Amino acid sequence: MGSLTESKRQLAWVFDLNKCIGCQTCSVACKVLWTEDAGAEPMWWMSVNTQPGRGTPRDWEKMGGGWDDGRPVLGKLPTPEEFGGGWDFNYDEVLRGGRGRDAHLTKVGGSKTWGMNWDEDEGGGEFPNAYFFYLPRMCNHCSRPSCLDACPNDALFKREEDGLVLRDEDRCKGAQKCARACPYKKIYFNEARKVSQHCIGCFPRIEQGVAPACVRQCPGRAAFVGFLDDPAGAVAKLVRQWNVALPLHPEFGTRPNVYYVPPLAPAPLREDGSFDEGGSRIPPSYLESLFGEEVHGALDLLRTELDKKRRGQGSELLDTLILYRWKDALGHLDRDPAEIVWD
Amino acid sequence: MAETRGPWADAYRKKWTWDKVAWGSHAVDCYPGGCPYRIYVKDGRVVREEQAGSFSPVERGIPDMNPMGCQKGACWSQLLTAPDRVTHPLRRVGERGEGRFERVSWDEAFTDIADAMLDALQEDGPESIITLMTPELGGSPARLFADVLGTPTTDGNAEFQDFSPGWHLTWGVFNPTASMDDWFLAELTLIWHANPVYTNIHWYHYVAESRYNGGEVVTISPDYSPSAIHADYHVPVRIGSDAALALSMCQVIVDGKLYDRTFVQEQTDLPLLVRKDTARFLRGSEVNEGDRDDQFFWLDSRSRIVTPAPRGTLATGDVDPALEGSATVTLKDGTRVEVEPAFERLKRRLEDYEPARASKLCGAHPDAIRKLARKVATRRTKIFIGWNSGKYYHGDLMERSMALLLGLTGNWGRKGTGTRSWAVAGWDSFVFLSQKARPGQDAAREYLQNLVQMRRLIAQDDPTQTLEMISNRAASMSPELSGMGRMMPPAFLWYYRYGYRDRWNDPKNHDPSMKRSFDAYMNEAIEKGWWDASYAKAYQEVSPRVLFEAGGNILRRQRGGQKLLLENLWPQLRMIVSVDFRITTTGMYSDYILPAAQHYEKLGQSMPSVHHLNWVLCDRAVDPPDEALSDNEIGLRLVEKLEERAAARGLTGFTDRAGTPRSLTGLMARATLNGAFRDEEKMFDEALRDSAAYGILPPDASLDTLREKGHLRWTAWGMIGHGQAQASTLRPDEVHNPFRWHTEEKVPYATLTRRAQYYIDHEWFLEAGEELPMHKEPPGQGGPKRRFQLTSGHNRWSIHSMNMPNRTLLNTHRGEPFVFLNDRDAAELGIEGGDKVRLSSDAGAMLLVAKLTPACRPGQVILYNGFEPYMHEQWYSQSDLEPGHVKWLGLAGGYGHLQYRPLAWQPIPADRAIRVDVAKAG
Repeated sequence: MGSLTESKRQLAWVFDLNKCIGCQTCSVACKVLWTEDAGAEPMWWMSVNTQPGRGTPRDWEKMGGGWDDGRPVLGKLPTPEEFGGGWDFNYDEVLRGGRGRDAHLTKVGGSKTWGMNWDEDEGGGEFPNAYFFYLPRMCNHCSRPSCLDACPNDALFKREEDGLVLRDEDRCKGAQKCARACPYKKIYFNEARKVSQHCIGCFPRIEQGVAPACVRQCPGRAAFVGFLDDPAGAVAKLVRQWNVALPLHPEFGTRPNVYYVPPLAPAPLREDGSFDEGGSRIPPSYLESLFGEEVHGALDLLRTELDKKRRGQGSELLDTLILYRWKDALGHLDRDPAEIVWD
Repeated sequence: MAETRGPWADAYRKKWTWDKVAWGSHAVDCYPGGCPYRIYVKDGRVVREEQAGSFSPVERGIPDMNPMGCQKGACWSQLLTAPDRVTHPLRRVGERGEGRFERVSWDEAFTDIADAMLDALQEDGPESIITLMTPELGGSPARLFADVLGTPTTDGNAEFQDFSPGWHLTWGVFNPTASMDDWFLAELTLIWHANPVYTNIHWYHYVAESRYNGGEVVTISPDYSPSAIHADYHVPVRIGSDAALALSMCQVIVDGKLYDRTFVQEQTDLPLLVRKDTARFLRGSEVNEGDRDDQFFWLDSRSRIVTPAPRGTLATGDVDPALEGSATVTLKDGTRVEVEPAFERLKRRLEDYEPARASKLCGAHPDAIRKLARKVATRRTKIFIGWNSGKYYHGDLMERSMALLLGLTGNWGRKGTGTRSWAVAGWDSFVFLSQKARPGQDAAREYLQNLVQMRRLIAQDDPTQTLEMISNRAASMSPELSGMGRMMPPAFLWYYRYGYRDRWNDPKNHDPSMKRSFDAYMNEAIEKGWWDASYAKAYQEVSPRVLFEAGGNILRRQRGGQKLLLENLWPQLRMIVSVDFRITTTGMYSDYILPAAQHYEKLGQSMPSVHHLNWVLCDRAVDPPDEALSDNEIGLRLVEKLEERAAARGLTGFTDRAGTPRSLTGLMARATLNGAFRDEEKMFDEALRDSAAYGILPPDASLDTLREKGHLRWTAWGMIGHGQAQASTLRPDEVHNPFRWHTEEKVPYATLTRRAQYYIDHEWFLEAGEELPMHKEPPGQGGPKRRFQLTSGHNRWSIHSMNMPNRTLLNTHRGEPFVFLNDRDAAELGIEGGDKVRLSSDAGAMLLVAKLTPACRPGQVILYNGFEPYMHEQWYSQSDLEPGHVKWLGLAGGYGHLQYRPLAWQPIPADRAIRVDVAKAG
């Protein structure tokens, strides 16, 4: 069992769901950097899903994990089929097989029934009052990581200096208790190496003062990174000062360190087609089920600040989210990686 | 206790190392493209790439443009080694389409291709060699022979159909384009006929940020589109009824006198007088002996005197042009006629669109229409348009109506207002390079002086012409000056040689207000000589023999479908060449596939786009693999081979249809300025230095300075491309908003009336009742009785089909082609999510998987395009559902700005609101 000590400082992520456009640049940036090797093909340490939806692994929210009365709960271990994807394709057969129109590109291997973004842009509601939004997900580098406690091999540890929850892959024996204990189901299993793997917080980049790939490459400028105790940083302001960025499923009890600015949505339409200005397109109860009761206050605050801006008044909160200077999203990790010269 | 130490941790650290960094970008038509990237190289291999995030802030108080990029860019290097990559010249050995090829040497390939081209020249003339202008600028150097021989290149705006006919009809230009940071300043953004959440990933943030800045966002789309989710309002407009919605807002604005009177008087044709008897503008030639046909008049509201509206300025001077009332005018023959301002006629037309009536057409609630109209009238408003409207049959009417909304409310020509399109500029130096007298910047300056002289010469007959008008005239006279080859509108080639004639003459593909047969209009347009300079007659006689494609994919793209092409065009072709870095569906049906270098393997320019106003470097981070060559090298070697084979065959030249003799000797010398620019680095460096000499780039511009910074911001527009059409001065510390020369300096527009023109009194437009914007239902193209309407648009995961087969990106969605259906529609048809369905229209049918969502409108079918045909069972794809017909009014000419010049006015195919049936595939 790992030891549950609090880290001295905690690095945290904020995703602004009003800026996230589901483009998967974060996912792809992470994928091409860390999970291209044999055995890692189906992994997406970073992934974006359409909400409401079943996500990846499919129906992960119902799989269990987290804490119960001070003990880690071992929930369901997601199967590769439920994670989905992992597809290769019959390129050679189509392009070089000489079969012409008798062969077309099809999946080879992987999940038959699911993918990491299978229910993209499906969402909920009923036309014209359909609704959906995008939810980027990664390891939450929790302050009370149930995975760490569940590991029988002491492979997982939480770093003192920044609170990243990492895995000593040389100690990991592939028991997958961590994956069962993680309520967010963001731990994958490498069938080739027989070890579990999850987001490493881009620690090699962080060591060099460079922001994690998911944040630095976000073209929507929806992602922020920084220490929670750095009062000048955007992350601390959004999470601690304004309480406008909230953790996902706080009831899981692991105290996650990835926070979300909850989504607004267009005014719904009444039966006759007119705008229902005061109405909610996304059911508030649904948002509450994701982000807890605090979501209402956060959305109210956003609406108040938007209104202030529309009346020509200032809003420090919205100016922070506007992100006039992109580098402000990167906190202290704003070094340009291209400057690095390796020995 | 475990630590971040040990072999596992070092393995991760080692992954994120490199030994070389280069600048890169992706010169593609995602528009704007040109995202500055850093390319990381290890052991001679590109290992990854990442946005550079290197743009400096431009204007105080406006967010910077970093870090431009997207998920395609994030895995671009995978294209270099992908399974569809070609690295050797390939010659077909099986039947076309079978996909059986053998490796041949470059020399064998070029000899065979050059001989086929020379055969075609000899036997069928230069028009029998067809080059397709495709979006990727990086592909054009491979098409160099077309410039050298003077063979035609089809116009890209018809090929890829990213034209906005309604913008052109209104402003004489299809592409007023603000820099993307200007979008931050909008107080109201109408996302309309666009899905920027998919297609503008690299700069959508400005929309979100404008909202945080106090602006509002309204998304107008038939479905609850991904670009609706971050809006304040979504207007679920009925498919194809956008003009009714726009005109209804205009009605509210005119009725409530909410319009910007001064702007309307000064910037638009609405005060110009129209004869009540003929419904045509009152013209100088009717009033005064010897006066111009394009002299128009207005009525001073105070003196009630009719005076000529000045042609040289938009300034109204002492006149207060009346928008209402009428007057009597005596013509030169003594006839007295009643006239009224076009505005009066507009007011009557708008009565049809009173909100309660328009609501029945467009589905928006009357209160919603009124509310939006008031917002537009009181706020800095932008319309975020894509190229969706122009793809509707009546897209011209939609766009004219939207332009009317902007015009009535004074919403262009100042920061935070206007609309958008695509626009490129500033590559004069590359076009002029081999036309200079000698290397060096003195020669560049001389060349420019000569060019300016020439333009002065062609402007002599009318001193009131603006620079933009003169540029347009020059481009009409010499299409090759556009810098993209000798362009021609392909409609005539399609009509006579691609097999469209029957389809275009099928009345059920057309609007009932088309009074005569399509053929009748076609013949009239040709007889009147409206398209004489544009190969209108050539293809009645000439069969295409050689099809040369570089960086395109006609069998995926061509509206009308591959079946049509394979049955009609293909049998005429003796040589089909696909220059590409990958095997496309068209490649599978080609005789040769020539392996081109990918972006990181060659020196290149990005799309020099008005959206970011920068010259962004794509450097040669690594060498091309195996035998692959840069497009430039392919282009030059083919020219070299043409010259060699012509000499060997004793051919010295030929005469084109215009009677111009063309030489087949000295081709290489002409293409490289006697060898001075045979070397790519030298050529590139010279072009950058010339750009400085032309004032387009800073004075110290060179390949070295560009390699230092990765990008250089333009300092001026240059003469090539769409710079002048922006009609605004570039300022180093300001965002760019087009049309400021019009609004601030009162410089006239390049239209017939020299104003933003809503009243088109061309005889065909009058006949169709379309002299003013109006709403017309999409015709029943695809089969009027079919239940569903197919809308589409670019997908999220690929630039056209280029990235579509990429394994990583396929894993971010379903991994196969799919179509969105409304959940309740599907239930009625017994279709479940994941079922295979058959879509069929009168043009063809295709198979793919259904995805169900309440975000899709009942009756709507959404098929995001770009899937390679070879990804579909039997290879039939979306374009096979599209009849690919054009609106007859696109053939109109002989009328001011309704004249062809490259990338401008011409017939373009319609592919939206195609009627289809959906059934579960048995």
